[in-house]
Amino acid sequence: MKFLKLATNNILRHKIRSFLALFGVSISIALTFSILSFNKGFEKNLAKELEGTGLHFMIVSSGCPHEVASLVLHSSVLPKYLDITLIEKLKQYPNLKLISPMLVSQLPNHQKNRIDIIYALDISHLPQLKPFLKIKGTLPSNEKEILIGYEIANHDKLTIGDIVKYGPNQKDFKVSGIIEKTGGQEDAHVYMFLSALQEILNKPQGISAIGIKLSTTEMLEKTIEQISREIPGIQIVTMGQVLNSILNLANSAKILSLSIAIIAITISFLGVMNLILMAIFERTQEIGMMRAIGASKWDIFKIIFNETLLITTGGGLIGILITTIASTTIEHFLRIFMPYMPSGKILVFDYNIAFFCILSSMIIGAMSGLFPAWKATKISPIEAIKG
Amino acid sequence: MIEIKELEKYYLRGAEKVHALKGISLYIPRGDFISITGPSGTGKTTLLQIIGCLDRPSRGSVSLNGIKIENMTEKELLQIRRQKIGFVFQNFYLINGLSVLDNVLLPTIFARKEKKRKDVLPLLQKVGLLERADHKPNQLSGGEMQRVAIARALINEPEILLADEPTGNLDLDNSERIFELFRFLNSQGLTTIVVTHNPELASKTKRVIKLKDGKVEH
Repeated sequence: MKFLKLATNNILRHKIRSFLALFGVSISIALTFSILSFNKGFEKNLAKELEGTGLHFMIVSSGCPHEVASLVLHSSVLPKYLDITLIEKLKQYPNLKLISPMLVSQLPNHQKNRIDIIYALDISHLPQLKPFLKIKGTLPSNEKEILIGYEIANHDKLTIGDIVKYGPNQKDFKVSGIIEKTGGQEDAHVYMFLSALQEILNKPQGISAIGIKLSTTEMLEKTIEQISREIPGIQIVTMGQVLNSILNLANSAKILSLSIAIIAITISFLGVMNLILMAIFERTQEIGMMRAIGASKWDIFKIIFNETLLITTGGGLIGILITTIASTTIEHFLRIFMPYMPSGKILVFDYNIAFFCILSSMIIGAMSGLFPAWKATKISPIEAIKG
Repeated sequence: MIEIKELEKYYLRGAEKVHALKGISLYIPRGDFISITGPSGTGKTTLLQIIGCLDRPSRGSVSLNGIKIENMTEKELLQIRRQKIGFVFQNFYLINGLSVLDNVLLPTIFARKEKKRKDVLPLLQKVGLLERADHKPNQLSGGEMQRVAIARALINEPEILLADEPTGNLDLDNSERIFELFRFLNSQGLTTIVVTHNPELASKTKRVIKLKDGKVEH
């Protein structure tokens, strides 16, 4: 029989109490593990998504780069329009491989009493801009066709060939294709020809932004500098700046969620400390007996310390297991409540984060065990003889 | 052998100095079987604690096989407790959840001795609980629990067995069986010292030491 068995037995003697402490630790570690995994997955998938567009920078009207981030985040309507004639000017730059104008707007859907987000672009560019999209049916082949996101199709029970009406004249648009579920913002988008949306908005020359892909990235800075100098009234935002803008916007939520995790961890570990202190108080005579029959102060310290470590490490492992098993459900809920989430699976098991969480639960467990274990060593063996 | 000379023990209870033992001298040869009796508060337990190396004398000397304990460090006292002394308590103090076997093995963890089931079974046979090896304490009667505690006290093969009111929580029948067990162990050469209130049980030992007001009553 070893010290570990003795510690395990002590935990099992008060099953409900120990379970509650273990549960508290596992929930707090599950929360921390989820948040850290989410943050990492979010950044990784966002970068991947932006990278997946193949765009190197975007051109918008003069303003702040957050507006571009906002365009990516919510497909929001930018307050200022660029003129489509700008495209002709840009075509003069030999290094620009792809020049993709886009116009984003929100249109009322009177049939469903709802506002739909309309993303209009050169449809032939869509496979390059969003290569991860899987489409049932076909891309729109003319101005009278649209491609709809999974949620819109699912919610409105729309199928290929159905008609949706948009604009002041309630113009008919035929659904040519439906995007398979991405988990991202595309699920709630309607894609149509640029000219179709310009007509509805009565902005025949208007576009929200222009996405640019270069032939070679070596000339990125030079090209940006040259375009900025030669074309007034525009602002160029690189995808790296877009990424930073989005991450900055998400940062406050990240800090808040981490604060909640830290509070949860603190409470759960105080709970463990309280449990162990109570157990020591109840076992004063038993500890005295152990000292009388040959246990050193260090032996007592080890028994109590092992108990704390067992609970916190066990709680940490269970917490990680809970998150891993429930990751799909957690992600589903997060997608409902988060204003923007990049497509793809965000909560992916990460060994480094799991190791960090286990290590944290052990370190904080050790910290919460120090005081009770030290207190237990102060129990005199005479306590046992007193009876 | 245990030699006690002019042993005194004081305690401080707040500002008050309590004189628990007032000059006790005793000689207990190897293989003796003695009982220490006397009314409550006469210093019986204090004397047992000092013989058991749980406490140090305030004055006087106590030697175990010629080794004086009054000047020993806590670590040295711990080593004596591990190697030479077995304790039996009034409240048994068996650990719930652990089997009889594991309870008996408990002191071997602290003494860093590798003992196994086969080492415990002869002891359990000696105390009449061989068939109870895998039972839990809550499945045992009071008398059985005390016999497990005695087996636990014997696992490290001590030279001295100290029992503090070992029958305090037992009925007469079980008390007599425990004392029979002590007598049997003593017959095998184990020095046995029992603190008891019960004069009838005390009379079963070879010698009865009566304490009164911190002194040996002659």
